[in-house]
Amino acid sequence: MKIHQRNTNFKITSLVLSLAGLLFFGFIGTEEKAAKAPLIYDQWEVFTTSDGLPSNKAFCVKVDNDRVWVGTNEGLALYEGGKWTTYTTEDGLAHRGVLSIDISPVTGDVWIATMSGLNRFSAGKFETFTQFNSGLANDVIYNVTCVGKDVWVATGGGASHFDPYTQRWEIFTEQNAPMHEPWTYGITSGDGKVFIAAWGGGVIEYTPETRQFRDYVDPDGEMEIDLFPDDGLVHDITTGVSYSEGVLWAATYFGLSRYDGTQWKGYFKEDSGLASNFINFVKANGKVVWLCTDEGLSGFDGTTWVTYSTKENRKDGEITITKDKDISKLKTSTSLSNNFIIGVDFQDDYIWVATAKGVSRGKAQAGATIQSSIK
Amino acid sequence: MGKKHKNIRNVILILAGAVIVILGAGYKWSERHVYYYNAGQPHPINCASCHVYPQRDGFLAEFLNEDYLSPVNVAISKDQKTLYVTAQEGNKLVVVDLESQTVKKTIDVGLFPHSILLHPDEELGYVTNQWSNSISVIDLINLEIIDTLGTGYGPSGMSIDQEGKFLYVTNTYSSNLSIIDLESGEEIRRLNTGNNPMGAAVSPDGNSVFVCSRRTIPIPFRTPPKTELTVANTKTQRVDDRKFFVSAHIMENIAITPSGDLTIVTLVRPKNLVPSTQIERGWMMNQGIGIIENNNEGRLSQFILDDPNAYYPDPFDIVISNDGKRGYISHSGVDKITVIDIDAIREILATASEEDLKLFSNHLGISDQFVITRISTGSSPKGMTLSSDGSILYVAERLEDRVSMTDTRSFDFIGNLDLGGPKKISVTRKGAKLFTNAGHTFQNQYSCYSCHPDGHEDGLTYDLTGQGRNLANVQTLRDLSGTAPFKWIGTNVSVYMQCGMRFSKFVTRTEAFAPDDLDAVVAYIMRDLTHPPNPFQDLEGELTPAQLRGKVIYERTTTNDGREIPVENQCITCHPPPNFTNLLAADVGTKKEIDDYYLFDSPNLNNVYESAPYLHDGSAATLEEIWTKFNDHDLHGVANDMTKNQLNDMIEYLKSFGAAHTYTNMKTKEAKYENSSEKY
Repeated sequence: MKIHQRNTNFKITSLVLSLAGLLFFGFIGTEEKAAKAPLIYDQWEVFTTSDGLPSNKAFCVKVDNDRVWVGTNEGLALYEGGKWTTYTTEDGLAHRGVLSIDISPVTGDVWIATMSGLNRFSAGKFETFTQFNSGLANDVIYNVTCVGKDVWVATGGGASHFDPYTQRWEIFTEQNAPMHEPWTYGITSGDGKVFIAAWGGGVIEYTPETRQFRDYVDPDGEMEIDLFPDDGLVHDITTGVSYSEGVLWAATYFGLSRYDGTQWKGYFKEDSGLASNFINFVKANGKVVWLCTDEGLSGFDGTTWVTYSTKENRKDGEITITKDKDISKLKTSTSLSNNFIIGVDFQDDYIWVATAKGVSRGKAQAGATIQSSIK
Repeated sequence: MGKKHKNIRNVILILAGAVIVILGAGYKWSERHVYYYNAGQPHPINCASCHVYPQRDGFLAEFLNEDYLSPVNVAISKDQKTLYVTAQEGNKLVVVDLESQTVKKTIDVGLFPHSILLHPDEELGYVTNQWSNSISVIDLINLEIIDTLGTGYGPSGMSIDQEGKFLYVTNTYSSNLSIIDLESGEEIRRLNTGNNPMGAAVSPDGNSVFVCSRRTIPIPFRTPPKTELTVANTKTQRVDDRKFFVSAHIMENIAITPSGDLTIVTLVRPKNLVPSTQIERGWMMNQGIGIIENNNEGRLSQFILDDPNAYYPDPFDIVISNDGKRGYISHSGVDKITVIDIDAIREILATASEEDLKLFSNHLGISDQFVITRISTGSSPKGMTLSSDGSILYVAERLEDRVSMTDTRSFDFIGNLDLGGPKKISVTRKGAKLFTNAGHTFQNQYSCYSCHPDGHEDGLTYDLTGQGRNLANVQTLRDLSGTAPFKWIGTNVSVYMQCGMRFSKFVTRTEAFAPDDLDAVVAYIMRDLTHPPNPFQDLEGELTPAQLRGKVIYERTTTNDGREIPVENQCITCHPPPNFTNLLAADVGTKKEIDDYYLFDSPNLNNVYESAPYLHDGSAATLEEIWTKFNDHDLHGVANDMTKNQLNDMIEYLKSFGAAHTYTNMKTKEAKYENSSEKY
């Protein structure tokens, strides 16, 4: 376990950005306007191995109050009190490749999905669950999600549900669930349901109380285009799901879908402000959804898109704001570390972004409004 | 003599001759019979030994046995007028008036009550019912149950915060801690603890609750046991720390000094990794205390309570005097209370380095520096409490059905509080006393209970042969009736053989039990030791859908692709109900290089969910590993064609195996598949 101290050096583009925000959004300061305007982040900081990260390839980020967990290609990292601490297999981590992290809202235990097993990290100690020593479906775990006291994992061999109270495991695969194949990528929950992003199988909805399944698939079948707009899920190769305020967001490698329980809506790079159709990760925060793509980070509040991107090996970047046909671009002196975005989470005024070349942290721009319904 | 008289004489002679022949032959047969089942150890021919005393049911069993109370824990009221005692086998809470020293009332609570805890306002008391998965809430004014609270599996120890708002309950069988909001009576969360948690104590400052556990956490094969002491934050109600006492286990109880500087647990230091032949180096196990220095960054240490030539096995409870200077530890294995000078321990700790502490944890002479005295008690001293002024120590003597009182100033015996249990000592009760007493082992080092706490097993593998070969995973002693032969290699045809001469020469290194003592021990094992209720087994006898699917897998005769599974390789063949053993040995492909045998006796699988680790040498940490790691060639049942789903379901079914007697009532209900998701 290693600890490194970060010396920060902020670069602020507040004047230009504030003016741009004021001009674009009108008079700002009221809560109502704050609720409607998109998010603007700047003052980006980039954390890399030189700051203490075990690897620049960050797969995921998870905020836990005043702590931030990052999963990387070479271990698990914790940012707390301005310092990074690394945990590796020597400390008990199941595998150096950490793909997903979640925190139990009941016990505070940190659940860590790796490429070779699942860890429960509590009070400094790792406990490992594998497909060999437990009922876990498969050791390659793409996502872990805590639903109340329960733990759900999306693995390469099916979705697994673990009840820590009874130590019982359940597995859901193509054998007992409407999945095309058992390769699952993401899990989310809300309103008494669990949603599973299944590779090639669309989205599987499961109601634990009734033990009923239903699935959502692309009505266009295997066509790589969205033949009939908004007729359903845009594609069956789903990479992630996120549920918030009655809306299910499904990320695919071919666009984004939104489902409010009755209507589907598809979003593509070609007809929206979405950075790219190749979406690695999706996270809905209140009414705002964030998409981690291979060409930048996009946020969308239902009417306005904000996309963050950067140029290779440059510290400055660009914010593209799209509202209907109106597109504005703002230059920023600081930016994300990389356009290949794999994870995102929020901590008060900060946004944390996991990229292929480091972890970026942005601060909600002072003077502009915070539009996310962050809790 | 007339002809008539001659005929009568001849008939009498013939009959007499026949009787002599029959009795003689019968006697010879009986001799051989007893000789066989006692491995050649001399034993009087007494049919009752094997065929009457061990019986659980029937008229004779009823006639010969008694319903004992078996007190295990105590609590005293603030006014010092009332003592509350949990009677474990009696399923009661006994309320004793201390002024008259008589039983005021007995209250029927749940099954196998473990602890009694009084609310700070003493209007209510709480009793954990370990076999009912509940807590009885007692109105201490009217002495009646007014509520029942739900918990996890196997609630045992408890502690309460200073305001009396939250109850912290260790769930021994599900290895977690229930936090119960006493206003609503609801469990608000369950925190993961160590393995088999037992004791709990809230710190004097109210900020933390400490939980000690009995069994090691899963560890790599043949590495020292590591037993967890969990520290949870009472404000956040999250686990703050997990501390591990290495090379230690069976941490039954815990106490914290009034100043909060030290947290002390009882523990056992097993020497399961070295041959049992190294007697001069502490032999099989030592007993002691574990200490956390709360004001010194939580530094851990272990001190042995044993003397160089005298051991004090099975430490159970620890209580600390109000001034924090003295501690009392009950040892049910030698019927003694050890009194320790905690200030002396503080002095040792104040100057001890890490190296010193390492030495002390293995030093048989260290106890001389802090042990004040040893107090003798009746059989099997367990839970204790002190009067408010610390002058009287009350000790629950489990196998005496009484509570003893000792003057802590003079260490003189004051008297006993008779709880009203039967006065007659049955054969099985005598056996219980022998089972829990270390008197038959060399220098009283350990009792049967030491490796078989509560008649179960301690989760460790020992080198009993002393040769570094043929390691033995300790097996449960519960529900052994009808499951002979014994030992992993199945060479012991009876428990008499197992516990008789061979055991004494082989393991305890002392003289064998006298025949009537052996009878008593065997009767106790065969009659009284039984499995607790299995939380995964439905009380109505119905199986969950997963368990039903697992049963299909367990009983299958063909593989997934239709190939016949040989009868000898079907799970049900070697492990049929009710004990899930066919009593035969089999080669299941688990022989290791250090094993001289490849045939292993099929173990019974009742309550197998709580018997980790598995296989003859304990090399499988979980049930899954039996097939994922140790069944490459499908010799231990055909499993390599199974999907993970199928294996999981089969394991769900295995986990549902309860005590043998439950299988006469087991029903198999076809699951109603309401959608295809329930099917394969």
